[in-house]
Amino acid sequence: MATPFTHMLQSLARQRGVIAALVISERDGIVIDSYVQVGHSADRVAALAAKLFRKARLSAGAAGLGAVSFMQLEAQSGRICAAGAGDQVIVILAESGINVGLVRVELLRSAAEIGALDGQGFR
Amino acid sequence: MTMPDDVSLLTEELARDPDSLAFVTLGEALRRQGQLDMALKVTLRGLARHPYLPDAHDLGARICVDRGEIERAFEEWDMVLTLAPGHLGALKGLGFVCFHRERFADAERYFSAAAAADPQDEQVERALRHVRTARADGWTEPLAHALPASLMDDSRYLFVNVLNEEGQTALLLDRDGLVLAGAYVGADGKDVAQEVGAELSGVTEAARRTTRHLSMGDWTSIVFETEVAVVAMAPSQHDGLLVLATSRATPLGLVRRLLDKCSDRAGRWLEERV
Repeated sequence: MATPFTHMLQSLARQRGVIAALVISERDGIVIDSYVQVGHSADRVAALAAKLFRKARLSAGAAGLGAVSFMQLEAQSGRICAAGAGDQVIVILAESGINVGLVRVELLRSAAEIGALDGQGFR
Repeated sequence: MTMPDDVSLLTEELARDPDSLAFVTLGEALRRQGQLDMALKVTLRGLARHPYLPDAHDLGARICVDRGEIERAFEEWDMVLTLAPGHLGALKGLGFVCFHRERFADAERYFSAAAAADPQDEQVERALRHVRTARADGWTEPLAHALPASLMDDSRYLFVNVLNEEGQTALLLDRDGLVLAGAYVGADGKDVAQEVGAELSGVTEAARRTTRHLSMGDWTSIVFETEVAVVAMAPSQHDGLLVLATSRATPLGLVRRLLDKCSDRAGRWLEERV
């Protein structure tokens, strides 16, 4: 069944190297909608990404840096990128070689769309 | 070197005679002990009674630099030159501030005047050489050689030769989130390194757990964009953490390059000490 997030997740998933794209609740790490390649657990990615983004948001807030709009974690064999939209976070899990610039733009655009959906009562 | 006993004696002297000039020596002693708030308080009280004493304004400027209040330091040194044109400390201090802001022509003017005031000062000669090199080809490294002597060994200035633009700051933290080197100067000009370090170091544990559970290997960097800054972090030796913050105006690609440069600088500095 298509959700208000389906088209943006499909668009993200089309980017080369993207393994998973999810919209999650930052508060509890619950998956709202997802596109995940076979062999990966959406729940696990969601829980970990939500915790990481929440920690970054709280730390930045406490340090007086304001709200976090975009976050990127780079590891030896992969990346996690996330953009916040209120309580929701749009996340991608990807291989190391992705075009981060492109993914970032797409994520921020999607986060803005989610924010707009929130305003229309989609939650 | 002034000992705590000297501080007591100077404090007593000042209590006996509030007009005494001992406040300059006392302020300097407190500054060297790292009691910056107390040093500033003593200096400001002294200046209220002796507003035209150049050495007191010079001391005030150096305390401001230690507190990360570069703008205020500039004003104090400017005042020193108004009261005592040719004051060596003020010329060197203003040269340093201008160099830090990449105002190389002004920096050269101040260092040249300092060199004229004391031709034997090798530190000034070195600083002048670096300023001229920087003016010639835009190369700013190693800025550390241009720092005033009192700042050359100060770990808070470890990254000044890497970070040249307003709003860029870096910190090296140990595994407990305590500051090893660098500074974090907030919008009000105060160094809030300990507070920021303590808050941001908590992110790394979440990063470690995430990469382990998702079989991504060790994390190599975290970058996040906030309303007012771009923050980049990288693991450092001995489970330490390097934190770089820049203004939102800094392109992300440049942030990554600056992070790499700061990592190299921190690595070399740690190797020299551990």
